[in-house]
Amino acid sequence: MPVEIALTVNGVPVRAVVEPRQSLADFLREDLALTGTHLGCEHGACGACTVLVDGAAVRSCLVFAVQADGGEVVTVEGLAQGGALSPLQRAFRAHHALQCGFCTPGFLVAATALLAENPDPTADEVRAALSGQIFRCTGYVGIVEAVLAAAKAERA
Amino acid sequence: MSRVGSSIVGTSVKRTDVIGKVTGTARYAGDVKLAGMLHGKMKRSTIAHANIRRIDASRALALPGVKAVLTHENVPRVLHYGAPHPRSISVTCDQYILDRKVRYWGEGVAAVAATSEEIAEEALDLIEVEYEPLPAVFTVEAAQAPGAPQIHETAYAGNVLFKPVVVTRGDVAQGFAEADLVIEGEYETGRPTPAYMEPNVCVCQWDNTGKLTVWVSTQAAFMVRGILAEVLGLPLTRVRVLVDHMGGGFGAKQDLFQHEFLCALLAKETRHPVRMEYTRGETFVGGRSRHPCKIWLKQGFKRDGTIVAREARTVFDSGAYGSHGPGVTIVGTTALTSLYRCENVRLEGRCVYTNAPIAGAFRGYGVVQTYYALDIQMDEAAERLGMDPVELKLKNAVREGDMAPSDHPLVGHGLEDCIRRGAAEVGWAALRQRPREQAGTLRRGWGMGCEMHGSSAYPGIKEQGNAIVKMNEDGTAVLLTGAAGLGTGAHTALAQIVAEELGLAFDAVSVVHGDTDIVPWDIGAFASHTTFMVGRAAQMAAAEVKRQLLQRAGEQLEVAAEDLEVRDGVIAVRGVAGRRITVRECMGPKLGIPAANLVGNGTYTPTKSYSFAAHFVEVQVDIATGQIDVLQVIPVHEVGKVVHPIAAAGQIEGGIQQGIGHTLTEDYVIDPATGRSLNAGFVDYKMPLSLDMPPIRTILLETAPDPGGPYGAKGIGEDPIIAIGPAIANAVHDAIGVRFRHFPITPEQVLAALKEKAGAAA
Repeated sequence: MPVEIALTVNGVPVRAVVEPRQSLADFLREDLALTGTHLGCEHGACGACTVLVDGAAVRSCLVFAVQADGGEVVTVEGLAQGGALSPLQRAFRAHHALQCGFCTPGFLVAATALLAENPDPTADEVRAALSGQIFRCTGYVGIVEAVLAAAKAERA
Repeated sequence: MSRVGSSIVGTSVKRTDVIGKVTGTARYAGDVKLAGMLHGKMKRSTIAHANIRRIDASRALALPGVKAVLTHENVPRVLHYGAPHPRSISVTCDQYILDRKVRYWGEGVAAVAATSEEIAEEALDLIEVEYEPLPAVFTVEAAQAPGAPQIHETAYAGNVLFKPVVVTRGDVAQGFAEADLVIEGEYETGRPTPAYMEPNVCVCQWDNTGKLTVWVSTQAAFMVRGILAEVLGLPLTRVRVLVDHMGGGFGAKQDLFQHEFLCALLAKETRHPVRMEYTRGETFVGGRSRHPCKIWLKQGFKRDGTIVAREARTVFDSGAYGSHGPGVTIVGTTALTSLYRCENVRLEGRCVYTNAPIAGAFRGYGVVQTYYALDIQMDEAAERLGMDPVELKLKNAVREGDMAPSDHPLVGHGLEDCIRRGAAEVGWAALRQRPREQAGTLRRGWGMGCEMHGSSAYPGIKEQGNAIVKMNEDGTAVLLTGAAGLGTGAHTALAQIVAEELGLAFDAVSVVHGDTDIVPWDIGAFASHTTFMVGRAAQMAAAEVKRQLLQRAGEQLEVAAEDLEVRDGVIAVRGVAGRRITVRECMGPKLGIPAANLVGNGTYTPTKSYSFAAHFVEVQVDIATGQIDVLQVIPVHEVGKVVHPIAAAGQIEGGIQQGIGHTLTEDYVIDPATGRSLNAGFVDYKMPLSLDMPPIRTILLETAPDPGGPYGAKGIGEDPIIAIGPAIANAVHDAIGVRFRHFPITPEQVLAALKEKAGAAA
């Protein structure tokens, strides 16, 4: 039986009717055309589909859309404010913290959650916070540098 | 600030593809959504080797929402190549879209298109398949044994898939007779997979003129076009392949997979666009792994360390289909002619079909396996000769003029430079003398490994790089390239080369790619060749446009074109102040006269150049748990000319990550009795993640530029995954005195080896 849900996605109120079995990831990608949220494994291991729900980083492939009812969802498309890249997005660009970019949305969202909770993380804390995000292109060096640089820029 | 002039090549300009990737707007094949689009799913075999006695889709077709079902009974039966560069010696022609027989557990036997993924999945369960089981073999020994089942009719006896490669140089018997020390060993490598983040996916649509458009995650769009056209019986004008961004491939996405054919046929049958995406599990099961390999290697040394003979036999496990089996076997085996000089060499390499999952092209292409053996044996030889391994490797390192595996003389002393620089960087000599931990359970060790790898697939393929450069009327330029945007930043590097050659700002060059109807033909992004080969073609195309541009400027300035130069977007008369015109002014329309049509075409048919590396690694082994941690890596790479330093370093760091995985944790495992896949997912297939990855201090050298590459540049893509493995194994030996000759090296094996060593000592 389809269920009506109401939530905000990237600050915009959304009302929708969804099947209870539909994952939040599929809802975002298929119903809202927010294809920046990528699906790398659909079993909660890779973290590419990470989004914020009420400020917490969650794997949208493991959450049903109905569970986000009443919540505030932020995807990678919602990180840039008023057309300007967020400090993390700028830092990922400056530090080449990506190659193919498929995992990047998940990293950016997970790092956004980290910096909201801990604005001044150490490199080890960054690595720990991102330990659930699989990266396969460039060995995490650029990502850790980018998150530290973004943290510094946000504190400045 | 936009960078101009001669500073563009060699500068880490902001990559052109990054904005889309950090904002979530970059479009990948799986993001394509078309009106009326159906979802395709594949039914996979539950047995490793069998004839299909009966297949019945009637119940699936009756399910509401199901629009079509394909089985071997209603798809074209065309024997075809599964890999690109068809008809080269590197690949095999041994597969059908769907066959009457299955050759590995998980092979596709049918496909469904339905209005939703859920209905398509439900329909798969309604397809009835009756198998006639055949004996199955999962090891190269079993496959070659007398009486083994024949997996392919086209194979040689013993399931050998092509005539074994034999290389002979000098006189091996004579060499061994002169040796003071002979070492032989058997080495075995596991079955890591590329595990690119984006699962295989494509979307197919036919238009009302009978033209097929395919959005697909591939490294080789023109190969997808060519093989689809061939198998479907279409002219190339009726197949268009589009690749905008793709989520990694690491070599494996050179192949065509079953879904690409099935998706096109389902779309044709249903007259609807169809999307087919592999699950992560299917990306393991139906994807391509590295070839597991067994290597027997024997070398003879003089007392001073000179290698006087080398003999090797390699056996590569191709799995159920040939894919790149011949190419990997040839490249991996012939690589043993080199790296360390030896005049007397005899090598034999063979590749064998088994009922295991398909092995294919994967970064390092056979050399990962053979140099693992070679470099570990060099470390062992140094120990037995009482030499420093760095000294032994330096003594034998290949040098300028030595014959490379491709039978070309090498350019420069890149390997020697890498070893010397790395040894100096880590203070190798002092490290050798350091006191060793005795207390506690942690033991540290240092090791180093070397490699060289060719840019381009020559001589397996006579390669060709193509590029078109066009001027716009505002003085900007467009590069058209068929090279895929694998994620490496190749398009940025190509734009840098064009800007440099044309004397324009980097921002003044845009790149058009990813549409086989528009861009010049390209063989695909693999074999470390895009920067080397397409880069050179782009440089040639830009030089041609520049010639035309200066011709035009010469007419406008009333001077000879030869007296002009262009820098920073300005054309000036050499040595004459003030006689100048901007490129924009030169190109622009004037008084009703349209702008000129300046187009340059570049085609480059390279032979080969070699890049070099030495990796220095520190590990820590916990003798209580067997856990091996990599503490730091200092990779030194000689690449001729660095086009984009940060992107180059990124390639190296990523290769090291995968190489650490190969050596310590990554192994795609099948049940030895049934061939069933046991860890086809990211929970059970363990890759090194953020907490496992050590600091990496990358050093790039430009000491052996190759005259064949743009500004001397050589390839970088494959090199970094090769030397890290033996460096780790050698470091583990340094730490605990145990010599491992296989990968992955697991904690259980470390503990067992330590126990055995203690027992032997007692």
